[in-house]
Amino acid sequence: MMNTSALPSMLDHTRRKSESDAAHPLLKVENLSVRFDGAPAGINVVDDVSFAVAKGRTLCIVGESGCGKSVTALALMGLLPTPPARIVGGRALFDGKDLLALPDRERADMRGNQTAMIFQEPMTSLNPVFTVGDQITEGILRHRKISKAAASERALEMLRRVRIPAPEKRMRAFPHELSGGMRQRVMIAMALANEPQLLIADEPTTALDVTIQAQIIALIHQLQKESGMAMILITHDLGVVAEVADEVVVMYAGRVVESGPVEDIFADPQHPYTIGLMGSVPSLGRRQGRLTTIPGTVPPAELMPRGCRFSPRCPFADQRCVSDPPPLIELSPGHRARCWYAPLELHREPIR
Amino acid sequence: MLRFIARRILIAIPTIIIVSVLVFTLQQLLPGDPVLTMAGEERDPEVLAFLREKYRLNDPVPIQYFAWIGQVLQGNLGISLRTDIPVLTLILGKLPVTLELAIFAMIIALAIGIPTGIVSAVKKGTSVDYAANVVALSGLSIPNFWLGILLIMLVSVRWQLLPASGFVPPSEDLWLNIKTMIMPAFVLGTGLAASLMRHTRSAMLGVLRSDYIRTARAKGLISRVVIMKHALRNALIPIITLSTLLFGELLAGAVLTEQIFTIPGFGKLVVDAVFNRDYAVVQGVVLCTAVGFIIMNLLADILYVLVNPRLRHAQ
Ligand SMILES: Nc1ncnc2c1ncn2[C@@H]1O[C@H](COP(=O)(O)OP(=O)(O)O)[C@@H](O)[C@H]1O
Ligand code: SF4
Ligand SMILES: [Mg+2]
Repeated sequence: MMNTSALPSMLDHTRRKSESDAAHPLLKVENLSVRFDGAPAGINVVDDVSFAVAKGRTLCIVGESGCGKSVTALALMGLLPTPPARIVGGRALFDGKDLLALPDRERADMRGNQTAMIFQEPMTSLNPVFTVGDQITEGILRHRKISKAAASERALEMLRRVRIPAPEKRMRAFPHELSGGMRQRVMIAMALANEPQLLIADEPTTALDVTIQAQIIALIHQLQKESGMAMILITHDLGVVAEVADEVVVMYAGRVVESGPVEDIFADPQHPYTIGLMGSVPSLGRRQGRLTTIPGTVPPAELMPRGCRFSPRCPFADQRCVSDPPPLIELSPGHRARCWYAPLELHREPIR
Repeated sequence: MLRFIARRILIAIPTIIIVSVLVFTLQQLLPGDPVLTMAGEERDPEVLAFLREKYRLNDPVPIQYFAWIGQVLQGNLGISLRTDIPVLTLILGKLPVTLELAIFAMIIALAIGIPTGIVSAVKKGTSVDYAANVVALSGLSIPNFWLGILLIMLVSVRWQLLPASGFVPPSEDLWLNIKTMIMPAFVLGTGLAASLMRHTRSAMLGVLRSDYIRTARAKGLISRVVIMKHALRNALIPIITLSTLLFGELLAGAVLTEQIFTIPGFGKLVVDAVFNRDYAVVQGVVLCTAVGFIIMNLLADILYVLVNPRLRHAQ
């Protein structure tokens, strides 16, 4: 679901990142590739993905369903089911340490501590047989040497911070007694209980009522500002991107097709897929409001073109696009597009 | 919750009535005249008539049923035609033996079935999982009597480690009692362990795929806690129900194993009674095991709700 209605007003304030942040990102993902057993040879579900996010900043990953956003997030958290998933390349430097190379135990020590994650499915993400309070407390006790009572007190404080009404009562509630929105608040409380430096939120509002979505995003955004943590927010909602993102990564079929500061992506999208996403396709001379209006669908793995993965749907595609994978080209500082013809206005006239 | 239990008990009552009718009717269909058996060599018509009168065998069948059920409700299961001992006394005498055997067997089944089920789910697709499944399948397909005889031949006859028979009540000699119970309990227990293992495995596999397990790992919990706390606690919900049902089956179904190890429990009581056409005893035992089975079912339903917070609050 793409929502572009709220864009212009929200883009007014500039969010150019400072030089020092760029030089010292908290998380630097380099050439991450993930493949699933049984996939055709050489076809990675996540292919050569790179991005960076600095302390206090928000990186939004956008792209249609199935393009590898969740797999990327889970790989960073060390939560991919292996097998069938396999990280076949890349690094994820967190504070200089490669997360992907850490031994299991050290990785677990970081999960829910320095790095935390919120998932798309609040209805099923809490354990049905334990109370909300126990589930939050457990995560605190895992990483902090404090008494059970102190951990429980901290859990209660977290429930207050995520603005759950009657938190004392909710501590003793089982997940099924809470609505989806309340459960997602509990998940947020759980994720933030140990004050992580990085929060990954994977479509945290997709499963919720439209009326609740804005509240949850506002809550996450505010908690992030208070704590100064870095955030990777995966979302379908371009309105949300405009509102909270500093950087944007656009993924298509497992690859980053465009990335850069949010204002560049909105004001000057360069990849044909991003242009389609934004619903403004100047060189085609008409507006497309929604992602689904880009004709065609993502090819299945067996039919994935060797070259540009977007070529079957791209109005500019030619023979080279089909046979050779385009490089990620830097168009302006921090703004990159993976297209042979970027920047488009210099190179191409629309073919259709 | 109390209302749920009350409702569930009410539902059990018609079942018990139907079972009692069935037990009674089947009994009528058994071949052989019990009076002839009782009288032995005696063929004096007057004696036979007296016996028929005494045990009300001349009354119409429905009358016989109501007379019987009326007595049953007062705790009178009749008198054994063969031994003249009240059936209830016979049953209460055997109950501890069968109960002990069943409990022993259940402990063995749980101790083997659940851990192997967990391991083979966690190690799904590995040689460990494969081996556990092969063993479980053999466990399911080997008949109990055959395993029993095999054990007697090896453990008792060849190695002389455990007695093959000769039940001793625990009050008399606890250690000897345990030694005589090990093999029959093992035979019964391994059969159940196999099905417990397979159910635990599939329950764990289902649970391990769920989102809340991913959440538990996202908290940084180590695998042991994720598996033994978060996953097992959920997987055990159906397993508790299954175990209760299996226990009910154990009470009723140990006949052959008790025969092989000459354990004087229900099985032996019922087999002796059938051979002697001792109607009252067969009726009493079958009724008791059926009612016991229904009670275990009831218990299974109640436990299922008790261990499941979602249902506990819904009731
Ligand atoms: N467990 C799995 N086994 C095989 N393929 C998977 C598995 N999980 C995800 N995939 C594949 O990985 C691709 C990316 O999935 P995902 O990251 O969940 O997409 P999204 O961008 O919607 O979050 C999908 O096309 C899906 O087919
Ligand atoms: S490389 Fe070719 S096919 Fe791919 S997006 Fe650019 S123009 Fe389209
Ligand atoms: Mg996803």
